[in-house]
Amino acid sequence: MKFVGVTACTAGIAHTYIVAEKIREAAVAAGHECRIETQGTIGVQDKLTEEEIKAADCVIIAHDIAVGGMERFAGKRIVDVPVQTAMKNPKSLIATIEKKLSQE
Amino acid sequence: MPLQDILDRNVINLHVKGQNKDEVLRDMSRMLFEQEYIEDIDLFVKDIYLREAEGATGIGNNVSIPHGKCKAVKKIGIAIGRCEHEILWESSVEDDGWQQTRIIFLFCVSADDYGKEHLKLLAELAGKLGSSQVMAKLQKAESKDEIIQALLN
Repeated sequence: MKFVGVTACTAGIAHTYIVAEKIREAAVAAGHECRIETQGTIGVQDKLTEEEIKAADCVIIAHDIAVGGMERFAGKRIVDVPVQTAMKNPKSLIATIEKKLSQE
Repeated sequence: MPLQDILDRNVINLHVKGQNKDEVLRDMSRMLFEQEYIEDIDLFVKDIYLREAEGATGIGNNVSIPHGKCKAVKKIGIAIGRCEHEILWESSVEDDGWQQTRIIFLFCVSADDYGKEHLKLLAELAGKLGSSQVMAKLQKAESKDEIIQALLN
């Protein structure tokens, strides 16, 4: 499957980037493609393209503060979790999404 | 700017002596003060605790990443410490909310927006800490060079 996502934590210094890597790693390990955009104190990095969003099977939003540009994901399947959930168990996050998508 | 520009051997300490969270935060802040990253230890530690109050900074694997923005910061950087004692730390990954910390990455970030290039490097470094491979290497690192290598690869 193809995932895209956005991460944004309170301070925007560390967790935003750590959790982005954790989600990416878990998704790739499970055989998926994954691109994560970070919204931190230095602004948006690795911005998702329109094509990537269009091609994605699911959008993962891991955040503690409001995420900018949510309108880009209108009509997409969105999984919205606190940063800590993805920090704690990125593997089970991906597994849960897989299960959800396969039931549709 | 390459990632190694943010890694400064002068603020890496493999023998942090403090026996609890407050002591190790102060040990590491003193190191930042001595190397002229910050101009006020108390003010810096106070802002670290402000961020600590918002959520746990233990990220598992005996690693913690305290951070905060502080006006006492003169130079953006990161202090890395390995503790001689296990330090009880609030955890964002353990079920009971606590972990034993051995390795600390103390982010030194200014309150204003200056130094964007350095902040980008800190973001890149934080990303590395999300990698299980990097984490595994960090656990085994025995020297400053090995710590730096674990983070650069």
